[in-house]
Amino acid sequence: MDGINLNALSENATRLGMRIQETIAEHTRDLSLTRGGSSLFDMADDKAKNITKQLESSSDREKLDAMKRLIALISKNRPVSSYFPAVVKNVASPNLELRKLVYIYLLRCAPSEPDLALLSINTFQRDLADPSPLIRAMALRVLSGIRVPTVATIVLMAVRKSAADPSPYVRKAAALAVIKVYKVDQAHHPTLLDIMTILLRDRSPLSLGTAVLALDTIAPSRLDLLHVHFRRLCRALPDIDAWGQVDVLRVLVRYVRTMLPKPVPASERQGEEVDKDLKLLLACAEPLFMNKNPAVVLAVARAFYYLAPSSMLSKISAPLLRLLSVSREVERVALAYLLVVARSHPVLFITSHNRFLVRVDDAEQVKRRKISVLLALCTVDNHQTLLREFMDYAQDTDDSVVGDAIHAIGRIASLVPSSTPQCLTALMGMINSKQDTIVSNAVLVLKSLVQNQLLTPSSTSTTTLPTPFSSQQALLTSYIPSLTPSISTSLSAAPLSFTSTESTSVAQAPLSIIAQLAQRIDDIRHPHARACVLWLVGQYGSVTGTKTTVEGVADWAPDVLRKAARSFNTEASLVKLQTLTLAAKLILLAPTHRTLVLLAQYVFTLARYDEDWDVRDRARMLRTLLVGAVTGIMGSNDEEGIGENWNKEEQAGRPGVVLRREQVTRVLFEGKTGTIEEELVADARPLGTLSLVMESESLHLHDDDDDETVIDLPEWLEQGIDPALRDSDDDAPQVALSVQAISSQAISSQRVPTPTGSTVVLTPIGGSTPKDTKDWRDLNKFYASESESEDEEEEEEEEEEEEEVEVEEGSGIGEDSGEDEETSDDEEDEEEHDPSSSHERTS
Amino acid sequence: MAIDGLIILDPTGRPIIQSSYTTYPAAYPLLHIEALNNALAKAPREGSVDPVIYVEELSCSSACCHVEVGGMRFLATISGDVDPLIAFAFLDAFTEILQDYFGVVSVATLKDNFDIVYQLLEETLDSSGHPLTTSPNLLSDIVLSPSLISKLLASVSPATPGVPSVRQGGSFGSNGASGAFTSPIPWRKAGVRHNHNEILFDVVEEMRGIVGKNGTTLVSNVFGKIESNSKLSGTPDLTLTFTNPNVMTDCAFHPCVRLQKWTRDNALSFVPPEGRFILADYQYRPPQSAVVSNVPIPLSLKANMDMGEFGGTFALTLTSRLIKVMENLELKFYLGEDATSAQCTLSSAGSSVGSVGSADGSWSFNSRTKTLQWEILNMRSSGSWILRGSWTSKIKAPRPAHAFQIRFEIPSYSFSSLKVDQLRLSSETYKMYKGVRMRSKGSIEWRW
Repeated sequence: MDGINLNALSENATRLGMRIQETIAEHTRDLSLTRGGSSLFDMADDKAKNITKQLESSSDREKLDAMKRLIALISKNRPVSSYFPAVVKNVASPNLELRKLVYIYLLRCAPSEPDLALLSINTFQRDLADPSPLIRAMALRVLSGIRVPTVATIVLMAVRKSAADPSPYVRKAAALAVIKVYKVDQAHHPTLLDIMTILLRDRSPLSLGTAVLALDTIAPSRLDLLHVHFRRLCRALPDIDAWGQVDVLRVLVRYVRTMLPKPVPASERQGEEVDKDLKLLLACAEPLFMNKNPAVVLAVARAFYYLAPSSMLSKISAPLLRLLSVSREVERVALAYLLVVARSHPVLFITSHNRFLVRVDDAEQVKRRKISVLLALCTVDNHQTLLREFMDYAQDTDDSVVGDAIHAIGRIASLVPSSTPQCLTALMGMINSKQDTIVSNAVLVLKSLVQNQLLTPSSTSTTTLPTPFSSQQALLTSYIPSLTPSISTSLSAAPLSFTSTESTSVAQAPLSIIAQLAQRIDDIRHPHARACVLWLVGQYGSVTGTKTTVEGVADWAPDVLRKAARSFNTEASLVKLQTLTLAAKLILLAPTHRTLVLLAQYVFTLARYDEDWDVRDRARMLRTLLVGAVTGIMGSNDEEGIGENWNKEEQAGRPGVVLRREQVTRVLFEGKTGTIEEELVADARPLGTLSLVMESESLHLHDDDDDETVIDLPEWLEQGIDPALRDSDDDAPQVALSVQAISSQAISSQRVPTPTGSTVVLTPIGGSTPKDTKDWRDLNKFYASESESEDEEEEEEEEEEEEEVEVEEGSGIGEDSGEDEETSDDEEDEEEHDPSSSHERTS
Repeated sequence: MAIDGLIILDPTGRPIIQSSYTTYPAAYPLLHIEALNNALAKAPREGSVDPVIYVEELSCSSACCHVEVGGMRFLATISGDVDPLIAFAFLDAFTEILQDYFGVVSVATLKDNFDIVYQLLEETLDSSGHPLTTSPNLLSDIVLSPSLISKLLASVSPATPGVPSVRQGGSFGSNGASGAFTSPIPWRKAGVRHNHNEILFDVVEEMRGIVGKNGTTLVSNVFGKIESNSKLSGTPDLTLTFTNPNVMTDCAFHPCVRLQKWTRDNALSFVPPEGRFILADYQYRPPQSAVVSNVPIPLSLKANMDMGEFGGTFALTLTSRLIKVMENLELKFYLGEDATSAQCTLSSAGSSVGSVGSADGSWSFNSRTKTLQWEILNMRSSGSWILRGSWTSKIKAPRPAHAFQIRFEIPSYSFSSLKVDQLRLSSETYKMYKGVRMRSKGSIEWRW
């Protein structure tokens, strides 16, 4: 015996040796070309002719080579469907590597060759019974990925079979197949729902996540199917893989919002009232904050943000901040979410506002979002720091960032009124900058600040916080109502009232700001900014003092009109319009001043022949308005002809209402509202969505398949549903423990490290698989023992503690029957609902 | 409604590899590629492209999320109102897998192994748009790595049943399928055997800080990472304890770490995956947790800037505040898009060690990125390095960045002085070699 064995062995060994030599020789050829992949990839197209021949050769190496060529062709978007028949022959090849390439090919080409694809179906069906879970899973994936409607029934059968496969990996593939079948043909909805009830009962956290995802995809409204699974899903959450955690959390958030009562915030009489199932979910989800996957962290944060009582909300701040340091890309997305949270709950991040400081190497999007977040976190305590920051950001090389930063300074002034003098000083400093962007943005912001200050003293003082500066603020704004032309206040008197506290505020009295802007009109080139200055000069250029050269008009105003008139032809329409307004206002203030009226006439005449009809209209309107108030505006000696004609035609059509000067003053100067601060509208879009990240209202979901996952966040219900519906036998503690056998979450303290021989986790390679597949090859038996095989499968996973498994099997019978009852209930439900729903879909 | 697919673009913006878009119109992937290439072309400077690009041409809402890997662009297309973080997490996982398989991820390695990349793509991303198997340990059972041994194994015909698996433990035989999907631990492959058991930890800490104009530290945080490389047989159950675990805060862990144990005992208890993985991320919490939690910045910069018309002059003085040697120090200064040239002189002053030559560093001006770069290979403690120079610009009022970017590395140093107490192995009896290394780097923005 021994001798024979030895002989056979040595024979085998020599054969093996030769074989290995051969292959080494073969492959060193390959390797000398660094695996030859690159040469295959960049192969010329004419070599593609050999592919069919190679595919039909007997050597696996040749076939592999051919398949690689084919895939290279695919990635270059060349047509490859002509090779379909040759490829299909290899679908049952014993060489796994070859077969995988064939699968890849089939998945890409099957939809275009449905008839030929049918040829391969048999092989896949056979593969579904392969002992290796890998082959089974792959076969199912290819089968469901072929997307040929005619084979849907076969695929459905395969999915149903795989849904009860002993391997969780295959069950995972089954859940994904459910989604794919559904997408190809929605008529199978009832059958698929049926399969879902099997899949949802899954004990393995490996496949549970995908099962929930599948349910969410094919029947997003059937949250009721989750009642009995809710608690188990919560407990299994830590063990589900990261992608599954994201999906499950999203579905559970929706479940809680539709099924559980809203947490009642704490009142003086009683503490917070939180449903115990919600507590369970939050408790199970909280450790996931420590997950490495940013999507999971966000999913948990999202659950807390939308579900947790306010007392628990603080838990989300640190994990969300951590996302900022993961990578540039994650930072970009996370900032969009952080902005929403920071706006609604600034308290969460106020202490860590320095995490949002802008770096010069940040992307533009990131910079702008950071500025918005910083603004949302602005308080009386940190506004000094933020103001300094924003002043730094105004030096940025990105124009949009500069704009945002300067506008942010304006926002600080209105958020923390006591800081207004500082903000004004900062902005006035920017007026002197050499950079156009800085100047024009500063002007825009100054304009709205000054205007708001001058117009709405009451609103400013009501928002004023009780700080030492507020009194000064009140002073600053107190004389403002007196600025309308009818009431007199001396401009020179105004600064005197500010000598007390801060010298800066003296310089920044609103009117002196306008004066400074007026003097710098030549340096302000941005049309929008120029228009602003012109408007400000016109609106607030009235003075009833004595010392001015032009009676009733501030000293700096007429020159602005002169400069604007000189460059009128080269200005943008926006500036032209404001020049007209300025001219009208100034001559109204000083109707007798010859030079001013001439200037105004000049401007009006230019405007009359302007290209822009808005400008022409405005000129005509203003001129008509002023007819009664200013003499000679309708045309004077030097442009007689035009004026006369114009006069005639105009007066002919006019019913003769001529406004007096006081009336025109009212029309032109009063009734101006302050600039409306952009309201920070609470964002309606939920966290974790693309539309929030892109800040685009126009984003819409697929219209064609609105049956797909609904991410929308439903409103809380008035009352939750009966919590008893969520009761299930799963709540028995030992089940939870067994699920966590491989857990990263729970180290079972009672788990004694076993010495060599029996490892902690037994691998079921040897014994279990054949046993299962024996049942499993016989379909009838298989269906009959569906629940049993499930138990067996559990056993595989939990062999680490024999006793426990036994206990569980003991209780398992009762458990299963209980579960069966429940599923049958569910199925009845479906029968009520499904015909209608499928009807809707088919119609 | 999920990740529709993944496309890999070469440095010139042409697709090399793309997943199948069979259920989408043919133009779908092309539109995304075009949108990305357009955005890249328009970007004023490097890194300023929005990582999420909304593709408007399509009737449905769709965006492309992209990252740069080894000069290439990996882009994941998403549709529907899905969280872009999922796409980025997936791209990250996929890149990690490629690194695991090919070592270096470059155009050359991907083209050489395109068949493997396709297989990986098929296994990691299901055609329904959901990530499938992303654990490198599991994948290695399904998709063979391109190493010589597995190539040989793959080509030996399965008809010879007597072939002993070259890999001890026989996790995959000639048809490669028997071992796949059998491991009960999703992140660890079953039946690993090593003659020499070892596990190495690299603690890498990175300081990120911003220093204001007046030299005060506005913010500085240290983020640490424990990178591990495990070559252990069987199913090793490890417990890693630290003498000062309280310096770690805001941790994130590899799925193998038992979170409850960490919360309870501040000990890392885990069954590691095989090969390289990142065990934990943390943020360093300085012990004197006063109001200001800034970590001191180990260097200082004095900048004298003089902005003129059509350019400016500068004098920068760098001083180390650390006893250890800082390496590969690199200072970058963006001179604005209209900058044309720069001229600099280098000197060092008061260096006690006395140094000459290349160690003092070098400077260069990149006319494409408009960035001035100053490098010092070895920066010893005490002593200062000075860079004086001027630059010219096409426009009258030049617009350089208002801050310098400083990067540096400090070998065998950690800001947190995190110390491993011990590493215990239970459930296996062999002796293993353990190693811990420290490394630090920094990235400081210094405003002027």
